[in-house]
Amino acid sequence: MLELINLTKKFGNFTAVNNLNLKVKAGDFFGFLGQNGAGKTTTIKMISGLYTATSGKILINGHDIVLEPIQAKSLIGYIPDQPFIYEKLTGREFLYFSGGLYSIDKKKLKIKIDETIEKLEIGDWVDKRTEEYSQGMKQRITIASALLHNPMLLVVDEPMIGLDPQSALIVKNILKEKAQNGAAVFMSTHSLNVAEEICTRIGIIKDGSMIFSDTKEVLETIKGSDHSLESLFLHLTK
Amino acid sequence: MRDVLHILYYKILIFLKVNSPFNFSAIFKSTGSALVYTIFAYGCFVLTQSTIEYLLVNVRIGSFLLHRFVLVVLFMFFIAINVGNMVVSFSTLYKSQEVFHLFTKPISFTNIFLIKFLDNFFYSSATLLLIITAVLLGYGNYFNFSFWIYPFILFLIVLPFMFTAGAAGVIILLAILRLSSKWGIKKVLITIGLVYVVGIITFYFVSNPIKLVERVFDYYPHIDQYFGFLENSSVKFLPNYWVAESLYWISENRIERAIPFIYANLLTSILVFTVTLLLAKRWYYQTWLTSLKISSELKTQSNDRNLFFGFDKNSWVKGFDESILKREFWLFFREPSQWMHLLVMIFLITIFISSISGIDIIILKAYNQYLKTIIFLIVSLFNVFLVASLSLRFVFPLISLEGEVLWKIRSAPIKFDQLLTLRLSIYFTVIFLIGQLISFFSNYQFPAQLAIVAQINAAITTITLVSLNFGMGGIFANYKEKNAIRLASSQGASITFLFTLLYLIIIIVILFVPVSNYFYALEEGTFISIWYLMSTSLILLTVGLFISIISIRLGIKSFTRDV
Repeated sequence: MLELINLTKKFGNFTAVNNLNLKVKAGDFFGFLGQNGAGKTTTIKMISGLYTATSGKILINGHDIVLEPIQAKSLIGYIPDQPFIYEKLTGREFLYFSGGLYSIDKKKLKIKIDETIEKLEIGDWVDKRTEEYSQGMKQRITIASALLHNPMLLVVDEPMIGLDPQSALIVKNILKEKAQNGAAVFMSTHSLNVAEEICTRIGIIKDGSMIFSDTKEVLETIKGSDHSLESLFLHLTK
Repeated sequence: MRDVLHILYYKILIFLKVNSPFNFSAIFKSTGSALVYTIFAYGCFVLTQSTIEYLLVNVRIGSFLLHRFVLVVLFMFFIAINVGNMVVSFSTLYKSQEVFHLFTKPISFTNIFLIKFLDNFFYSSATLLLIITAVLLGYGNYFNFSFWIYPFILFLIVLPFMFTAGAAGVIILLAILRLSSKWGIKKVLITIGLVYVVGIITFYFVSNPIKLVERVFDYYPHIDQYFGFLENSSVKFLPNYWVAESLYWISENRIERAIPFIYANLLTSILVFTVTLLLAKRWYYQTWLTSLKISSELKTQSNDRNLFFGFDKNSWVKGFDESILKREFWLFFREPSQWMHLLVMIFLITIFISSISGIDIIILKAYNQYLKTIIFLIVSLFNVFLVASLSLRFVFPLISLEGEVLWKIRSAPIKFDQLLTLRLSIYFTVIFLIGQLISFFSNYQFPAQLAIVAQINAAITTITLVSLNFGMGGIFANYKEKNAIRLASSQGASITFLFTLLYLIIIIVILFVPVSNYFYALEEGTFISIWYLMSTSLILLTVGLFISIISIRLGIKSFTRDV
């Protein structure tokens, strides 16, 4: 579903992402870990089309994000770490706006929006302007907007920031469900226990290069019974 | 006072960007900007000098009438600074995040007000000051001023005048918010708006520049003398009169007669500023709370689902186009600073159109083709200037304003050129219609051939200016700024404004000879084809297409940059 081939991103002389190679298949829940400034958000921004790569390729279900951006992006649902949304629109209006960008039929969109509102439990405040929302509310609207077009690949940057435990549980369940239904999820997070709990594959990036990428089972073998993911992470990224 | 100086010190540091690392592109941009400013300042200098020479030597209007013309320009200048400060101050004094931050610190409200007031005044007046300095140099050079006269005029006449206008704007803003807590914002805005309109119209009736020109020309050819006795005495209490009179007497090398006017101007400025600070001491925090209350009232009204053009309603446009059009519509009309600023600009345009209706008398009284040409050019330039102001305020911020939800737009399966063209076409349509209306009402009293060409030229200049502002808005895009007003008064906007003024000079150059020859032919009763005038449209079209294509391409390209 997602393939990164020799992906590199440079900002002047600084190499933020260095020759990254990765494949995420349909049904995979890929946890992307790394320290601050390791290159996680840069990678995610390249996958979602916000940045262009200095070299290398990104394929979404075989479509190159640079050469076939429309086809590639129609398969992606992107959830950023900082959910800025139009303050003067209500949550529901923002969802209609987002659906329109994917040219979803109005009737289908209405049904999908109602379903998503129910699933994310945001019905109480979805008709208020987003300027009144807390960080967590904005995050849930952002997540809802990424699910409307049934993306085959969810690209998620730090999804748990600002969420209360109930909201975090809802979001985790939705992401797990998407992966179980055959979508690929590519999620960056600082929360190691979340990664351990819901991801099927883990990748660790350091200074722009992937230093570990494998299944959770392999990870379990490496860290052994007496080690936590935290100590392994700290060891690898030292 | 120590905390004010402390904060101002850091603001200056930020302005100078002393901490920013060596960066070739930043240096290139800064050098380019400095070059544009310098060329522009030189252009202003030359233009002012040659315009004064033309008016005094060719048209022979006399120094007195020249300074009455300055008086009217100063009045518009005063209104522009006054209204501009009212609108921009609302953002800086009441909506800025910095104010929220400073309120949590042990700093007095008056000091916070002072910091933001100065920040606002100098930030939004920087370009104006540059223009004024260049104009002053051109003016002074014509009249052979001594070196010391320039800083004397700038610091003791012009700056106090601008300060009075800015501080008066803030006083009105404080009064609006103070009274809103008792009577409600709508009632207060309507009342103060009406008082303002009546005040401006009264000025035009009282000063009656057209009547004054007629009276002065009764003395023709002996018009190079002082005609102050012909003026309405009530005008003599206005700051723009004091400035115009000061300049007149300085240019006549009789500075002792300018002193009382300089003194009155300076004292008024100090008085208005003191009143502003006193009112701020009493009202700033209260009015800040009122502004929060008004915002929260507006927010609670927002729970209703839309009845008209709502997102969930079916409409004549579908999918992507529908999403963008509805977003644009609701974001514009739910943001008070957007529609209020548009209303203010439409109000100023209405004033302009209504005052231009007296142009017929001037044309009839204009005694040679030079004066008629000047009148036509001034009308045309005002039209272009209004369109330029609308473009700068509403088109320049277009690309930057995508920044709020850029993550959604850039990750969506849409073509960016399609998105930007659609958004541009919305604003272009509105500005184009306004431009055509202004052109029609301000030109219909000229001969039909000239009016038709003016209408066509207005269309071409609108296309050019809208495209220019769009492209420059892309080049100087700031995706972190959500405030359209601040975007429209940023450094990039200032440079765009300078380009616009250069474009105005190009228009004068293109129009001058054909229009002058046209009036000459009319006077002589000889035939002149409309195609002769149309040649100006052809040249403007060529220049306009060149600017538009490059600007739109640059604007769209800039949107694909990494953010």
